[in-house]
Amino acid sequence: MHGLVSFPLDPFPMTDLAIDIRGVVKRYDEHVAVNDFSLQVPRGTVYGLLGPNGAGKTTTIRMILDILEPDEGSISILGQPVRGGKVLDRVGYLPEERGLYKKMQVRRALKFLAELKGVDGKTADRRIDQWLDRLQLRTAEKDWGAAKIDELSRGMQQKVQFIGTLLHEPDLVILDEPFSGLDPINAQALKDTVMDLRGSGKTVIFSTHMMDNAERICDSVCIIAKGKKVLDGQVQDVKAEHGIRNVAVALDGGSRDIVLAALADPALVAKYDDQNQYFEVELAPHADAQELLQRMVRGGARLSRFELIQPSLHQIFLDRVGATGVEPGMSGNG
Amino acid sequence: MGKIFVVFKREYLERVRSRWFIVATVLGPVFMAAIIVVPALLAARTKSSSNLANVIVLDATQTDLGARIAKSLAAAAPTSPPPRVVTVAADQLAAAADSATHVVMRHGAQGYLVLDDSTLTGAEARYAGRNASSLADIGTLRSTVQRSVLDLRLERAGINPDSVAKLTGVKLDFKTDKITDKGLESGGGMSSIIFGYGIAFLLYMMIALYGQTILRGVLEEKTTRVAEVVISSVKPDQLLAGKILGVGSVALTQVLVWTASAIYLASFSVAIIRALGGSAADAAGIHMPTVSVGVGVALLLFFVLGFMFYASLFAAVGAMVSNQEDVQQAQLPVMLPLIAAIVLMGPVLANPSSTLSRVASWIPFSAPIIMPMRMALIPIPWPELVGTLVGLALACWAAIWVSARIYRVGLLMYGKRPSVRELVKWIRMA
Repeated sequence: MHGLVSFPLDPFPMTDLAIDIRGVVKRYDEHVAVNDFSLQVPRGTVYGLLGPNGAGKTTTIRMILDILEPDEGSISILGQPVRGGKVLDRVGYLPEERGLYKKMQVRRALKFLAELKGVDGKTADRRIDQWLDRLQLRTAEKDWGAAKIDELSRGMQQKVQFIGTLLHEPDLVILDEPFSGLDPINAQALKDTVMDLRGSGKTVIFSTHMMDNAERICDSVCIIAKGKKVLDGQVQDVKAEHGIRNVAVALDGGSRDIVLAALADPALVAKYDDQNQYFEVELAPHADAQELLQRMVRGGARLSRFELIQPSLHQIFLDRVGATGVEPGMSGNG
Repeated sequence: MGKIFVVFKREYLERVRSRWFIVATVLGPVFMAAIIVVPALLAARTKSSSNLANVIVLDATQTDLGARIAKSLAAAAPTSPPPRVVTVAADQLAAAADSATHVVMRHGAQGYLVLDDSTLTGAEARYAGRNASSLADIGTLRSTVQRSVLDLRLERAGINPDSVAKLTGVKLDFKTDKITDKGLESGGGMSSIIFGYGIAFLLYMMIALYGQTILRGVLEEKTTRVAEVVISSVKPDQLLAGKILGVGSVALTQVLVWTASAIYLASFSVAIIRALGGSAADAAGIHMPTVSVGVGVALLLFFVLGFMFYASLFAAVGAMVSNQEDVQQAQLPVMLPLIAAIVLMGPVLANPSSTLSRVASWIPFSAPIIMPMRMALIPIPWPELVGTLVGLALACWAAIWVSARIYRVGLLMYGKRPSVRELVKWIRMA
C-alpha cells in the first residue's frame, strides 16, 4: 500500500534498507511481546516507532540490537543479519534508561564507549574533543572532559550520553524515548543533531510514546500496539489516508457554551478534544463542516479560527487502536 | 577478544588508578604485619594480674600443701596481698567454701582455692574467683598447684628440697626443622606454619575483597543503567569475562607488589627484629620459606582458579539484585562457604594430613584456600595436587557457565530479587 512496504516492487534494493525485520515473534512466559512484526526502514530516513508504553517498542529495539533473540523471524540491519554479526558496531543506541560510570572521567568514559565500538584510541580522542567543543562541554574557562561524570549537572550528563551514542559515527542511530528527562535546551540540541544526522545520510530510529514529537520530526512512522503493527508509512501518506475529517475551532472570547451546544449534536460530531479555548473536532460520518460552522455562527459564537485540518497522529492512533491501547500521558508533548 | 580487552582495560586501569588501590597496596603489608605482630606482642606481654595472690587457700589435705602454694604464689606476685591459708576439716569444707564466696563477693579477696585429698592424689583442685576466666591467672594458679603437689610428693619420697628444685627446673627451648623430599630445611617448621597461615589468609582476603568488588561493579552497572548502554556494543559474556579478568588482574597486581616487598623486606629481617628489640638469635630463627617453581605455579593456579570460581558467583549475585539493600542477603550463599573455609584453617593447620584436611582440599569452595595452606605445611603427593586442581578447574567452568546465564538475564532485569525457582528459569532461558 505504501512505497516502503510493497513487495516485490520494492523501490529499494535489499542493501538500501537500514532495517529489515520480517515476521518477528518474541514470547515471554505467558504473553507475546512482539507478534508477527515486519518493518522495512529505508536508509537516510528519520523513522518513528510509536506506541504506548508496553506496546513492544523496547523489545523490538533489543531484538534489532541482538540483545534479545527473536523466537521466530529474521532481522537484518544495513544489509547484514544481526545475529553474531559485526554490523552492530555501525549502530548507535541511546536506551530509554541510560547511565554512565559515575566515578569515571568524562573523557575516559567516552573513549571506553568508542573503543567498544571498535574506534581506535587516537581517533576517539580527536572526536571526543570535537564533540566536547560542539556541545560546549569544553570552553575557555572549563574543560568538563577532565571532570568526573558525577561532577556534571544532569543536563551535561545527557550531552555526554549523546556523544557516547554518536562517537563512532554510526550509520544507524536508534533512540529509545530520547526526550524523556531532557531539559528543553538539550531536547532542542537533540532535534538539531537528528536533523544533522539526516542531512549526512544517516538513518535515525526514534521510539517514543509522545506522538506530537514524532509528528514533527519523523519522515515515516510505524505505530505498534500490544506487540502488533497497526500501520506504517510516510507521515503525510498516513495522514492523507485518514482523510480530512477534522476541524480546528478556536474561540475568540466567551462563546464556549454556544460552541459546546453545537458540538453536542451526534449527527454532526463524532468526538472532540476540548482544550478550553481550542477544540479539535472529528466530524461524524457524512457530516458537513459548513453545517457545523453555520450552527456556531448562528448561535452567536465569535471564532478566531475554523479550519479543516489533517488528523494528528494522536487522533489516528486513537481511531485505529481505540482507547484500550492508550495509557495516561500518551499524548504528552515532551 | 577485542571487546573483552576493552572491558578488561577499563576495569583494570580504573581500579589501579584509584586512590583506594594505591593506599591499600602500600599500607596493606603494614596493616597485615600489625594484625600478626600486635596480638603476638600483646599475648607475650600479658602477665597474670597483680593481685593474683590475693586468694584464700582452703586446705583440707592435713599437710603443708596450702602453705607451700601460698609461698610460691606470694613469690610469683610480690606486689599482691599474700594468700591467706585456712586449714579446714574435710567435712567442713563446704561451709568454708560458702563463707569464702561471701568474702570474695565483698571484695575481701580475688577468689579461693580448694585443696583436698584428691588434690594430693593429683586428680583435682578447684578455684573459684572473680578472675576465673583469665587464662593467664588460671594458668599460673594451675602450674603453682601442680608444682607444689610434685614437690610435696618428691620430699615424701625422701628427696632433698634443694635437689628437687634443681631437678625439676627444666627450661627447654624446643626447636623444629622440617624435612621435605629435598631434605632438611632448617628453621622451616615454625616459619612454614606462618607462611601457610599467611597464604591461606591472603587468598581468603583477596577472594572476598575482590569478589565483592566484582559484585559491586555489576550492581553499579545495573543501577546506573550503564548496562543498558554498553550491552548494545558488547555481549554479556564478553562483559563478564572482561570484568573478571580485569578485577582479577588488579588483585594479582596487588599480591605481586606485596610479595615483592615482602621478599625485599625479608633481606632486612635481622635489622628489623633488632630494631623491634629482638636478639640476633631470634632473627636467625626466621627464614623465608623456600618455594620451588612447581609449588609457586600451583599456588598461582589455585589463586587464579579460586578467584575465577568465586568471582563468577559474586558476579551472578550482582546481576540478581537491583539495590544495595538486597546484597547482604543475596551474597550469603557465596560468603558462607568462603567463611567455612576460614573456619577449617585451624583444624587443617593442626593436622594438614587428616581426613578432614584432605576432604576440604577436594571441595571447590574450600580448595583454593585449604590446598595452598597444606602445600606450605606438608609435601602433597602430586596426584592429589593435580586432582584437586583439575577438580577446581571443572567447578570453575561450571560456576562460570551458570553465572554467565544468570548474568545475561539479570543484567537488564530490575525489581524483586528472583526466587530459586526463577533463577533456575533464568538459567534455562539464557
